[in-house]
Amino acid sequence: MSNSLAIEARGLFKAFDGKPAVDGIDLNVPEGTIYGVLGPNGAGKTTTLRMLLGIIDPDSGTRRLLGRDEPLDAAAQVGYLPEERGLYPSMKTREAIAFMGALRGLPLATGRVRADGLLKDNGLGDYADKPVKSLSKGMAQTVQLFGTIVHRPKLIVLDEPFSGLDAINQGRLEAMIREEAAGGATIIFSTHVIAHAERLCERIAIIAGGRVRFEGRVDEARGRLRPQVRLRTRAEDGDWRSALPPSARREEGEWRFELPKGGIEPLLRALLDGGAGIEDLSIERPGLHEAFVAIAGAEAASQMNVPTAGEAA
Amino acid sequence: MMSTVQAAWVIARRDFMATVMSRAFVLFLLFPVLMIALAGGFGVMNAKAEKQENRPRVAVIASEADFAPIAAARARLLPAFGAWDLAELTRADPDYDQADQAKRLLAAPDKRLVAVLAGGLARPRLTGAVDPGDRIVRQVKGILDEAERQAALASAHLAPPPVKVDLVQVEESAGALALERSATARAGQWLLFMVTVMLAGMLLSNFIEEKSNKVIEVLAAAIPIDAVFLGKLAAMLTVSLCGLAVWVGAGIAAAQIWASGGGVSLPSPALGWPLFLILCFLYFAMNYLLLGGLFLGIGSQASSVREVQSISMPVTIGQVVIFFLASAAAGQFNGPLGIGAAVFPFSSPMMMIARAAQVNELWPHLAALVWQGLWVWVVIRLGAALFRRNVLKSGGTAAAAFGPRRRLIAGGLLRR
Repeated sequence: MSNSLAIEARGLFKAFDGKPAVDGIDLNVPEGTIYGVLGPNGAGKTTTLRMLLGIIDPDSGTRRLLGRDEPLDAAAQVGYLPEERGLYPSMKTREAIAFMGALRGLPLATGRVRADGLLKDNGLGDYADKPVKSLSKGMAQTVQLFGTIVHRPKLIVLDEPFSGLDAINQGRLEAMIREEAAGGATIIFSTHVIAHAERLCERIAIIAGGRVRFEGRVDEARGRLRPQVRLRTRAEDGDWRSALPPSARREEGEWRFELPKGGIEPLLRALLDGGAGIEDLSIERPGLHEAFVAIAGAEAASQMNVPTAGEAA
Repeated sequence: MMSTVQAAWVIARRDFMATVMSRAFVLFLLFPVLMIALAGGFGVMNAKAEKQENRPRVAVIASEADFAPIAAARARLLPAFGAWDLAELTRADPDYDQADQAKRLLAAPDKRLVAVLAGGLARPRLTGAVDPGDRIVRQVKGILDEAERQAALASAHLAPPPVKVDLVQVEESAGALALERSATARAGQWLLFMVTVMLAGMLLSNFIEEKSNKVIEVLAAAIPIDAVFLGKLAAMLTVSLCGLAVWVGAGIAAAQIWASGGGVSLPSPALGWPLFLILCFLYFAMNYLLLGGLFLGIGSQASSVREVQSISMPVTIGQVVIFFLASAAAGQFNGPLGIGAAVFPFSSPMMMIARAAQVNELWPHLAALVWQGLWVWVVIRLGAALFRRNVLKSGGTAAAAFGPRRRLIAGGLLRR
């Protein structure tokens, strides 16, 4: 089993100034998946990623990265985009990408050639010889992303990769993540925007208060909640009402309740027989947001970024 | 994973290029030239000022005929004293009241007189704010004695010829050589101190860039912090050596162009010039790596330029103390102070350079270089461990610098 795991963490614990930031986290990231770490700000996502990468050591617990006990032993096969992006401002764009590759063992000359290719393919070819400080924030972020993947890593770790990007660049980044995953790379990214995780991830970990509240497939998370039924009837009352589940509540002129375990058919029959007059009936699968609320709690969910129309696009 | 040395090479290459290709590097190269020019300018100005102001002047109230033998006596004594040390005499025509004239002369600000001599050889009287034992009084007495003696010889029609001394010169004498080699030792120490003060200070602020633009996170995720430290240190050592090469080259070129032969020559050190210069180079590198490693470690804890500025003052004082320790111990190599200064890693290079100038033994240098190299390693590991703990907020203690894997195992055991 462990051979097919890109990341394996057991009981990671880290406290800063006596206050636990990460409180016993277990993670299993299978190779070749896109894996999301979800949680509100301050949940411990970044600390977890930094421990996984070996930037900081956990106070207790173990982690294995691509089968290595020491994360830095796997550094040549790992790419990392930190939350706070960092490039040398005076360095030329091409050199910045090649330097990040060189840090991971890629020969500088190869790095330069690949940097030129990446920049050209993404419409930034004119900036290869320009210093990083002349780039816009979004461009610099893209350049840093190129530096993260220039050595063609097997594992790509992205900390809040979508923050600071406009809708178009977010779309590009999503496409790139899918492309890298299709090429066989494992991708783990943290986010506090549920929509990104919902669209991209096969598996997720929901972290709140330094603990993993859920780890598994996205559909498993959503499967924790029963589908929601919305029902609007012409008649307000009748015998058919006894067929509604006890948890059904009336909001804005319609009934809302979880899909009963026995399915919708018995209810449907009672509605027809009782002459309720069905105006509108829908069965909705719960989204990741609803699952998140159910798993991490409403308070944690309120700190999550509700995607705007642009972001969700 | 890349080895620590390979990773350090990636860092060193970037840092070296970033430093050398910057405009500030030109200023860095020009800095000593500007300093020398300034020092030279001040030197000339000071010398002029001294020439005008600091030579003691005595006015002699006398007729030309009375003044001539006194001036001649001074001229005879001048070669033994030197122009700077012997009081200068100026003549003033006698007034009716010479006591009053002496007071007026002493009070005149433009004349800058220390004393006034009146009464000629017959009844000399010296007026001035001087004590009987003062040098100026003794000099005036000596000049007058000499004038008196010459007058006596002349009246006896005696004119003894100047005494001839046959001078036999030898290359070296034990006393002179020891004295001169001690000068070479001190010159070596001083040079090492000055160059290190000038260059190693730059390392204090070396981490500010990575910390302020967050590159440190990218570095720490890819390579060990030890390699970052080693790379930065190696880059700055190379930059310093480039600077030194340019300065020494410029110095030699300037000497070729302007020096009119001769000049100051230091005596041959005990180990001979070639070996001494090689040791100078090695001890400079060790001194730079030891102090630079320390500065890098201290500076890496600072989060802003302001903090670095606050740290730099005590650090410079520390360097001066180490220099004093090494220069106090120079010459007593086998005494407790000498051995202590040679063993204490931060004064060891300066102590050993003095030893190379004065003692003809090679093995202590090999031992010292190994010892210092070991301490460079210790300083880098310690600096990196403190950085990981205090800046990256990683777990563990400074002791973990020397056994991170052991600590992980311990962590694992604790967990179980």
